[in-house]
Amino acid sequence: MATITDVLERPANPTGLWSWITTVDHKRIGILYGVTAFSFFLIAGIEAGIIRMQLAVPENGLVSPDVYNQMFTMHATAMIFMAIMPLSAAFFNFVIPLAIGARDVAFPRLNAFSYWSFLFGALLIHSSFLFGQAPDAGWFSYAPLTEEPYSIGKGIDFWALGLQVLGVASLAAAFNFVVTIINLRAPGMTLMRMPLFVWMTLVTSILLVLAFPVITVGLIELTMDRSFGTHFFNTVGGGDPLMWQHLFWIFGHPEVYILILPAMGIVSEVLPAFSRKPLFGYPVVVFSGIVIGIMGWAVWSHHMFTVGLGPVANSVFTITTMLIAVPTGVKIFNWIGTMWGGSIKLNTAMLYAIGFVALFIVGGLSGVSHAVSPSDAQQQDTYYIVAHIHYVLFGGAIFGLFTGIYYWFPKVTGKLLDETLGKINFWLLFIGMNITFFPMHYLGMNGMPRRIYTYSTEYGWDFLNLLATAGYFVLFVGMLVFIVNVILSVKNGKESGHDPWDAPGLEWTISSPPPSYNFAKVPQVLGQDHYWIVKRQAEAAGTPIMGPEPFVDPATIHMPNPSYWPIVTAFGLLLLAVGFLIEFPWQYLKFPIPIIAGLVIFTGVMGWSFEPAAPEEHHAEGDHSEEGHH
Amino acid sequence: MAHVGGQLPTSEVDHTYTTTGINHRKLLMWVFLGSDCLFFGSLIATYMVYRGQSLVGPYPIDIIDIPVTTISTFVLLCSSFAMVQALAATNKNDQKGIQIWLFATAFMGAIFIGFQIYEFNAFRLEGLFVWTNLFGSTFFTLTGFHGAHVTLGIVWIMVLFFVARKGKVGPHNALDVELCGLYWHFVDIVWIVIFTLLYLVGGFDAGPVAGVLTEPSLLSLLA
Amino acid sequence: MRLAPPRTSNNSNNLMPESRHSSTFSRIDKWRSLSVVVLILGLLSVGCDYNSDMTTFSTAGPVAAKQALLFNVLLWVMVVVFVLVEGALVYAAIKFRRRPGDPLPKQVHGNTVLEITWTVIPTILILALGVWSVQTLFELDKPPAGSDVLEIAATGHQWWFEFEYPDADGNGTFVTTANELRVPVNRPVHVDLHSDDVLHSFWIPRLAGKVDMVPTRNNHLWFQSDEIGVFHGQCAELCGRAHALMKFRVQVLSEEDYLAWVNGFGQEPELSAEATQGQVVFNGEGGCVVCHSATGSDSPATVDARVQGFLAGRESPIAPGPNLTDLATRETFAAGILDLNRENLRKWITDPESVKSGNYMSGRAMVYQTEDGTTKLNQKQVSHVIEYLLSLK
Repeated sequence: MATITDVLERPANPTGLWSWITTVDHKRIGILYGVTAFSFFLIAGIEAGIIRMQLAVPENGLVSPDVYNQMFTMHATAMIFMAIMPLSAAFFNFVIPLAIGARDVAFPRLNAFSYWSFLFGALLIHSSFLFGQAPDAGWFSYAPLTEEPYSIGKGIDFWALGLQVLGVASLAAAFNFVVTIINLRAPGMTLMRMPLFVWMTLVTSILLVLAFPVITVGLIELTMDRSFGTHFFNTVGGGDPLMWQHLFWIFGHPEVYILILPAMGIVSEVLPAFSRKPLFGYPVVVFSGIVIGIMGWAVWSHHMFTVGLGPVANSVFTITTMLIAVPTGVKIFNWIGTMWGGSIKLNTAMLYAIGFVALFIVGGLSGVSHAVSPSDAQQQDTYYIVAHIHYVLFGGAIFGLFTGIYYWFPKVTGKLLDETLGKINFWLLFIGMNITFFPMHYLGMNGMPRRIYTYSTEYGWDFLNLLATAGYFVLFVGMLVFIVNVILSVKNGKESGHDPWDAPGLEWTISSPPPSYNFAKVPQVLGQDHYWIVKRQAEAAGTPIMGPEPFVDPATIHMPNPSYWPIVTAFGLLLLAVGFLIEFPWQYLKFPIPIIAGLVIFTGVMGWSFEPAAPEEHHAEGDHSEEGHH
Repeated sequence: MAHVGGQLPTSEVDHTYTTTGINHRKLLMWVFLGSDCLFFGSLIATYMVYRGQSLVGPYPIDIIDIPVTTISTFVLLCSSFAMVQALAATNKNDQKGIQIWLFATAFMGAIFIGFQIYEFNAFRLEGLFVWTNLFGSTFFTLTGFHGAHVTLGIVWIMVLFFVARKGKVGPHNALDVELCGLYWHFVDIVWIVIFTLLYLVGGFDAGPVAGVLTEPSLLSLLA
Repeated sequence: MRLAPPRTSNNSNNLMPESRHSSTFSRIDKWRSLSVVVLILGLLSVGCDYNSDMTTFSTAGPVAAKQALLFNVLLWVMVVVFVLVEGALVYAAIKFRRRPGDPLPKQVHGNTVLEITWTVIPTILILALGVWSVQTLFELDKPPAGSDVLEIAATGHQWWFEFEYPDADGNGTFVTTANELRVPVNRPVHVDLHSDDVLHSFWIPRLAGKVDMVPTRNNHLWFQSDEIGVFHGQCAELCGRAHALMKFRVQVLSEEDYLAWVNGFGQEPELSAEATQGQVVFNGEGGCVVCHSATGSDSPATVDARVQGFLAGRESPIAPGPNLTDLATRETFAAGILDLNRENLRKWITDPESVKSGNYMSGRAMVYQTEDGTTKLNQKQVSHVIEYLLSLK
């Protein structure tokens, strides 16, 4: 079949920027995800700074109420969808194939497509600032505030369409990782020998696969209300605002487990590594993760305790929500059990892992108090909830992700992050986090609602707000230290070698950074904590392991060739979203752009399907033209 | 250790290795279909919650035409049969059969879409648009997305058809036909659910009167 | 790379001093952990503010008190769990620190008895708390049977609260007011909650937990105040630009004072000469009467007309506005954000947008359709209107 690859050949050995644009290598895609996600993390952090500066003193006039509403909406949306999730994805990408002994993910081009869709979706949402129309109805955008006539302008449309694009990215990645983990494990790696991070990634990916379609439908219905005059959530036409809430939170609650399970997986690997003991209760920790994933579908209405569902519904969700604390607690006890009796090395990665557990205990406990719906009636929509959110998402997810950064940075770069700067970074974040967010428990119980751009001095909230703002600056400095650490260490960091931590995972058997093909020979996995077994056997036999797996000539190993179709297809998706958003003064483009977008997507998918596996195979007989590497 | 007699060791990886023995792409299709279940499930749930809540007509009982839609449903079911035959032909390397059955599947799918277009137009003439009432909103959104799925399926089948005409479809790549078949059967099954709920059950709904969701049900506990 | 003996750390910049003692928990470590625990417990007690008008800690009625009891018990359970678990974590991190020469620790994989114990015990604890929570939920769902309940309907608007009493005094007196709710002490008050536009929430922290006001739904809550006084409330569900400025007050009065207020509602006020002129402006050039009633409750037709006007959008100069009939008896106005005095009234009437950005008064009313959004009335007229408003008792 004649395709564009007649004209523009599939790249074979691209260099420079083109090599990054056409890469299908999971390690490079992981780096792309990591750098991009961290950039949006910093932007969302600036938005947080604006929020805290506005709230530092009562009746402040730093920003208008409109801008303030945009700030907290974008801060949360960016942190959740464009920082934490893609940072987790960075680790899925870089680590999972290495941890299971594979050469790449099951569908390398689909992987690249996920990244480019993520980048385009994130840019789309943030471009709303350029038009002065950032979304401003909160990150869960309750109807009817998001309907016309209460939200005029395109802010909510940017939000809805951007999230759709991001949703496609997440779904594509989730499909990829489910298949990769189930189907590309090296021989000997049974499910119960998989590293914990791999297990949690599997559960997270299954949650993504099942939860995102629900929000997709919600967003479609919201967009249709706003663009086509339907009445899904529009009370004038008989719609029910609670329908939006149900759809959103049926997605939204599994979403918070999507946010935390990868971090829990990372911590479950780092704690054993630096305690020199295996994870305590491995099967129980795995099972708890699975149970949390399943039970997470049965608790969504605890976000709706105050909307008047009635005592029967509220009781059911009180009980299910309280019960989900049990597997969570079990995990925490097993983590402590891992450290107990171990030989603990308190380097930065370990400090972050312990810090995760310490802060997650606080967040988890405040979560239990929310589960009790009569007292939640006082806590809901106050700063007490904001405190809980940040303890579990900052103290939890972000600290877990930083654990992963310090742990796997050597594998990615071949260099170690500086330990002194690392410890300063940790303590600044740990202390700053508590100064910023612990007072919010009090502010909430003392009556301060959330999402208010200013407050009156008569309620006595002044000091704690000022304290929280001061904490922000501690966090700010901590982040600067981290950035400095990364830059200095990439340039001049100490060489790490292939196994700086004496760790148990497969990824540590190969060089740092790994060769493009990861493993020259398919590993035969001997058990949980495979590399510990191998190293100790070798030690006992008198031939200790001194270096990484030997290199081979990359030319002898057939790796998937790069491709430009993923970015083309992702671009088509972006165009489609833009087509929905086009308004005056370019409204005459409202019809052509989606058509062009459809053509671009169609071309992209066709090119992708029929692309030869490698340029030289282009003229070979048709047998493999459709079995090309994906 | 890296060199053995001056030659670098080469890889010994089997390209078709999978831990479970299931082809990657087949597993991907199943995972995708699982996701699509939730997608259609949410749209169907929206329809079910909003049954009987339309403030103005036309109401289902006024315009839903079960006999006509029974015909299109039957045609879609037949197209699934044709798809099965196409896969059988592929496995037997019956080149003519492959082309005939693939084309038949796509053709019957197109007839189904034709019926959908006819029905949407008939509703439009009766005054039911997507913005008219909740019935319009939920009906058109759900069946519209289903129709889009069918249309994409037809495109996929036709691409396979044109590849088959070049003789490039056969037992060696029967998986490609099988994957398309899985998708097509899924879309068909979704239609059976839609037909049952929106036509056979919901097709008799009148306006916001008693008789619809009056019993305390799980849905009403949550709504 | 050798497995045993363990390597020293990769870097020489380790800030954590490695103790040269044996691996028992040293005295220094004990003091460190004790100080951490004391610090934490100290921090915990600092923040509870019992004096704030919006605090949930200083309850004044049975609903809030039951909710607070549940929270306080749970809080102490959480503190105990926190101290134990966090303590174990910190203890382990310190006690089992690696020292040079430490052998490989015992490679324990788990302990079934422990797993069962720390699954079953929390489950039992949680179920016990859960049962108590559910009981409280059902108890608090309705006012006590057989009590003399005062029925009120509250409607949320962007950005003010409307209150209606279908039968304020037991004799069928219908009262409509706004932003300040007046109730008698020691009587349960049952509030039906509605919204005319977006989601809002009705929250009086010292008296009861909140319930949202959802358009198309009839939500409800009840509360009772056992103290005479003024209680503060605020909308607690994001409702748009001025969400932060949507507050209300509950004036809890003795039975006599309450009945006096009901009887006085809608009575013709005594108007000075200035106030009479203000009334003329209010009903005429100012156009205030189009949205605000000042002479009693609104008829259903008026209410309907205002709602339709609101839904008609920017083409209409009408929106429902707070009923001002008893304005002069209120402490605050503009939804609880300004104290009722001449200066504030002048500020609000002259330029509402500068006080509450986005408000529908300057957004819709004809008298504000000027270049800068300030009133078309001159300051003399504004003064007269102020006098009129301050006479509305």
